[in-house]
Amino acid sequence: MDGAALLAQFEPKPTGIVVEHPRQLFQARISPCGKYLIASGYDAAVERWDITGDEIKPLNPLLGHHAWVQCLAFVPGTERIVTADSWGQLAVWPYIDEALAPIWKNDTAHDGWIRALAVSPDGKTIATGGNDLTVRLWSTDDGSLQKELPHPDKVFSLAFHPAGMSLASGDLKGIIRDWDIAAGTVKRELDARVLYQFDRIQECGGVRQLAFGAAGKQLVCAGQKTPGGGFSTGFPCALLYDWEAGQLLQEMQVGANDDGIAYDALIHPAGFVMATSCAFPGKGHVWFWKPGEEKPFYQSNAIPNGRSLSLHPDGRRLALLVSVSPNGNGRQLVDGVYQGGSSKIHILDYAPAEAARPASS
Amino acid sequence: MNPRFLKNTALCRPGEHRLSRRRMLGTVVAGAAGLSLSRLLEPAVAEELRQNDKQVILIWLDGGMSQLESWDPKPNTQFGGPFRAIPTSVPGIEVCELLKNTAKQMHHLAVLRSVCTQDNSHSAGVARINRGDPKDRGVVYPFLGSAVAKLLGPTSSGMPPYIWIKPYSGGFKASDAGFLGAKYGALALGDGKPPENLLLNASISVADNELRNELRARFNERYAVGRRKERTEANSYVYDLAQTLMRREELFDESTLSDRDRERYGTHELGRHLLLARKMAESGVRFVKVNSYHWDSHGDNFNACDSLIPQFDKPFAALIEDLAERGMMEKVLVIVMSEFGRTPKINSHVGRDHWPEAWSIAMGGAGIKKGIVSGKTNAEGTFVDGPEHDIGHLFHTWFKTLGVPPEQMEYDNQGQPLPVANETCGPIEELLA
Repeated sequence: MDGAALLAQFEPKPTGIVVEHPRQLFQARISPCGKYLIASGYDAAVERWDITGDEIKPLNPLLGHHAWVQCLAFVPGTERIVTADSWGQLAVWPYIDEALAPIWKNDTAHDGWIRALAVSPDGKTIATGGNDLTVRLWSTDDGSLQKELPHPDKVFSLAFHPAGMSLASGDLKGIIRDWDIAAGTVKRELDARVLYQFDRIQECGGVRQLAFGAAGKQLVCAGQKTPGGGFSTGFPCALLYDWEAGQLLQEMQVGANDDGIAYDALIHPAGFVMATSCAFPGKGHVWFWKPGEEKPFYQSNAIPNGRSLSLHPDGRRLALLVSVSPNGNGRQLVDGVYQGGSSKIHILDYAPAEAARPASS
Repeated sequence: MNPRFLKNTALCRPGEHRLSRRRMLGTVVAGAAGLSLSRLLEPAVAEELRQNDKQVILIWLDGGMSQLESWDPKPNTQFGGPFRAIPTSVPGIEVCELLKNTAKQMHHLAVLRSVCTQDNSHSAGVARINRGDPKDRGVVYPFLGSAVAKLLGPTSSGMPPYIWIKPYSGGFKASDAGFLGAKYGALALGDGKPPENLLLNASISVADNELRNELRARFNERYAVGRRKERTEANSYVYDLAQTLMRREELFDESTLSDRDRERYGTHELGRHLLLARKMAESGVRFVKVNSYHWDSHGDNFNACDSLIPQFDKPFAALIEDLAERGMMEKVLVIVMSEFGRTPKINSHVGRDHWPEAWSIAMGGAGIKKGIVSGKTNAEGTFVDGPEHDIGHLFHTWFKTLGVPPEQMEYDNQGQPLPVANETCGPIEELLA
């Protein structure tokens, strides 16, 4: 199926359902059961919504983190979610009921900012990484530490291979490491250094997201290229790799050099890459790109400032989280009150019901 | 100077230099054309001030360092960001975890958390903060370094009163002096390098050089006849300044740096420049300004701070530790500031914009109270809670702690009396020991 055919089938359309949240969020994910939308952000709360009916109903948030909850991941085959914050706390929660206490938590899982989190395909192992130059593996059941993997740089992203034997870690410097989980050793490194920049006196970029295709043949990572203008803002970019060969297949760069960082990317079961980026207000795109083609078959900033994309298990809907936080210098009061940023989660219909399901990548 | 004469020296190569003595002189002579007729302070007081051994190191983080990721953390609040607050060497005072080394030196420092200034643009803010927000009287006020150079003069070391260590190009920056005149400008060491051709050309003997200078002095005397004193003074001043630096070439000799200093200050730009600032202060320079650029974190602020603030923290902590170990904190005023702070609100690019409403300035030494926080912001860090302090208050505070007597807080600009600092402000007594 070429890009034109993919566009006909997968062009996203607004459903009119928009969840508005008064604070800024990092990511919004639809649960594997398709009944819940879970999101986390800048204020330590893990927000929940019931999305089973026509109306989206807010549920009580999961409270107990101390600071930014940049990472969350569902535990396959369970109704549990793993969350991690920027002060080093890691927690596992039941996300479907009103028992709002974590099953377990570890306040000192890392020294400081946990930036990356992944759960193994069998649900037994949690991988975490962040600013303390370490990847740690934990038992999902009881939170016991299984393994420590020293990392040469800050860990920005993690993904388990679908076969469960490998863990990919992406860092600030644009290096992707393929870890042998059992041995705790690095098998090889993939070069994504194009996503790292030393701009003036500042380190910028990094591998902000990693995701395997369902079959594990391909890996996509996301970030930015070539910042300019002094604000560390560059061209949004996703890199697609042949995982087995360890070869870069394609750079998927879109937009202008002020469209910012691609914060999220994934490989759709039909084999195309989906990604979104966020920068200054009105900037940042959503794009779908079939590997091998010269340009994305879908690219839009009609809903700009995308932070995350999450597919509903029904294969028809997706949740697009966007930031709504204008920039501006100095005192800007609304009715005498200083305003923070907010977020919107757009539920988009991106595939008709009769769409055939192509083979997985 | 022929490059071959520098081959075997640890000093910098000519290509690395930005400023030559000739160029420096040319700049000053050109600047002297606009030299005002400002009078010196009364001679007796001026001499007394020159005996004053107070010095200043000003660290200017251009673009605006985030107060929330440094001196005034608001952990676990809406605008608090991802970082933790950590304890310091002073019980009860916390700073952001990105200042982990500085936290250990807090007992030497004071932080003013109630800074509220007026300009939210770089173009207005840089000038206004550096000049101390004087009222508009139709003249261009001097930057702090030039003001101190004027009010206190050079120390007895004979070193230049105002050295500016900065990235990029150097040169004699007469513009800092404003109406005081070119003589009070800054000698800028581009990338921390000495002026080009600082070393005496190997083909010229010391004796020949002395003869050459004698001849120059005679020419100067002839040239001065019938000309304005300010112009000829500036001309001679810069020659003297160059001669002084030629005698202190070891200050720029990086081969003499200890491994301990290299490790503690770091080899990055700001680390090297702060180490040079320490050496300049040790050598007797009255006022040393160190600029670091690119702190304007409108985009990806938290990764920017994660990258930038440690570049400041490590060498700054080493500088404070060294000044304290050497007993220099009693006489050296150290100031860390920018043109403003950064917005509490985090924009859609995960950045913080310009925020003059509530930010922090850190300082220490020379009579500043040790180990205190003065002023505060509200729970979310959006505005000052309590009395606000503008840069005018700080200029009064700094001049007072430097020993400028209240009766001398006035320039005489060709008969026009001009307050040294904004006369509607006064010193912040809580900061003074």
